[in-house]
Amino acid sequence: MESMNLVLCAAAAAALDICALVLILASYSERRSERKAWSKISADMELADQNRSYALECDEILIGRHASADIRLPDMSVSRYHAMLNVTDGKWTITDIGSKSGIYVNGVHVQHVRLYDNDIITLGNRRLIFRKRRERN
Amino acid sequence: MSSPISYFFSCVFVIIAHGAMLFNAFQNGNYESVNDVITLCAAVIGLDAAYFIVMPFFKQRTYAVDFMLLLILNMSNIFQSCFGGVHLDLKHFITCIAALVSCRIGCIACRNHRWIQDKKKFVWVGIGVLMVVIFLFCGSRSMWIDLGFMTIQPSEFIKPLLVLACAASISEQQNKHKVLCFNVVYENLILFGIVAAVILFQWWCRDLGSIPTFAAIYASGFLLRICYPKAKFSKKTLIIAGSCVAVAGIVAVILAPPYVKDRLFVDIWSDPDGNGYQQSKALIGIAEGGWFGKGPGEGFLHNVFAYESDIVFATISEEWGLLYALMTVLMLLVIVAMPLVNPPRSYYHATMCAGVCAAFTVQMALNIFGSCNMIPFTGVTLPFISAGGSSMVTSGLMIGMIAAAQSPVFKNPKPKKSRKQAKRRTS
Repeated sequence: MESMNLVLCAAAAAALDICALVLILASYSERRSERKAWSKISADMELADQNRSYALECDEILIGRHASADIRLPDMSVSRYHAMLNVTDGKWTITDIGSKSGIYVNGVHVQHVRLYDNDIITLGNRRLIFRKRRERN
Repeated sequence: MSSPISYFFSCVFVIIAHGAMLFNAFQNGNYESVNDVITLCAAVIGLDAAYFIVMPFFKQRTYAVDFMLLLILNMSNIFQSCFGGVHLDLKHFITCIAALVSCRIGCIACRNHRWIQDKKKFVWVGIGVLMVVIFLFCGSRSMWIDLGFMTIQPSEFIKPLLVLACAASISEQQNKHKVLCFNVVYENLILFGIVAAVILFQWWCRDLGSIPTFAAIYASGFLLRICYPKAKFSKKTLIIAGSCVAVAGIVAVILAPPYVKDRLFVDIWSDPDGNGYQQSKALIGIAEGGWFGKGPGEGFLHNVFAYESDIVFATISEEWGLLYALMTVLMLLVIVAMPLVNPPRSYYHATMCAGVCAAFTVQMALNIFGSCNMIPFTGVTLPFISAGGSSMVTSGLMIGMIAAAQSPVFKNPKPKKSRKQAKRRTS
């Protein structure tokens, strides 16, 4: 009887363990579907400069020189907290949050403007292109 | 929406986990009639099945948190029903259903962070109203309001509201105002005032056990605010804040009432029938239970006061074994760690999840380490596992917030119509 008790307890514990594992795996699979949903919400856009591209994975993204910025541009012409990108229903907007050199979109000085595919954003001496995300090899 | 295959397998494994526990209770449990076990099985499997059927109607993209919650709640239901003899604990079963309902409410309310952020003034008012209720009906006399058929602990409901208040405060960080020589964010001052008032109130109400939970929620919000780029937080402010907390902690220990100091420095083995009664019995129970326990309903801890709430970890260890008790804790940790697998897409949701995680972790630590005599005994509940309606409902609400962050909605709330516009339209 004692061994039976032990076996049943171990079996119940194992079942619980496996269940937790299955739920964690399910959560990972949901993460993929959630990513797909996010690419729909964010219109699958990205920011890119000459050297690299920046994924837009949050509904509110800060661009600046400061270490805590979501997209960090280590350039003295860029303010520490320069601009904020926001998305709603697939529409991205950029807002100046008190930068010194301002924001230029396609050469026009703006304070708050909606962004479209292939818009060129100038922050200080840095030029970024707002474009559809490209698959990386 | 999550794939039907993953949904199906999640359902099957949750039922298998509960089935294994119920079979263990049937084989090793202490019961008078088999009908008691059958009733318990029907309640547990019935609740599982009902939730699996109802869940797809709430069109979410993720269900892992819901499955995890159901797994934990029915585990709790089985534990509570087995203490002192296997029979369905109907009261706890109803509170489990209430927790599931409150989880749905929390999830629906918090999915669109812009909408809930707009309602932050209602959150502040809610906290104020609860404090007035505590002042009028509880105070230093008791922590509960007795309604005759049930008791309510209003201070529990402040926890989810405080999590929302902390999360909402993050949106205003860039709006700094010059006051004397300081750059001040009014929102932070309001939040600090609210938290200070809540903590002082809890002190006055002698509900000192919940103070660390409130402090943890605020601290997590505070730390996230430092990480929030728009806040432009300086190291100087952080050092000042840290020093203030250290001073406040020392002052609190010095000014603590005598009964608190007794608990801080109690030696349970020199006073096993007085101040150390519950902890000494809990430790004996854990030791006697060993790794695999005495069997469901076979323990003696159900004769000790608060066996189903304050020392529930020890009661589970005694009857089900330390292995099972630790795995229960692991399940609780997994559910609050879900945002690590599927990270939130907004700062609001991230702060909200951090607040919930902090509250749960502190409550678990206080309950488990308290009953194992590793820290002073506080009498805080173990989320979802301890009996208690108020705790279950608020824990459900907070897990609903995590579920909301897993499948968020990004829509701007409808603009408010001004009264003049409304009048024009009606005329």
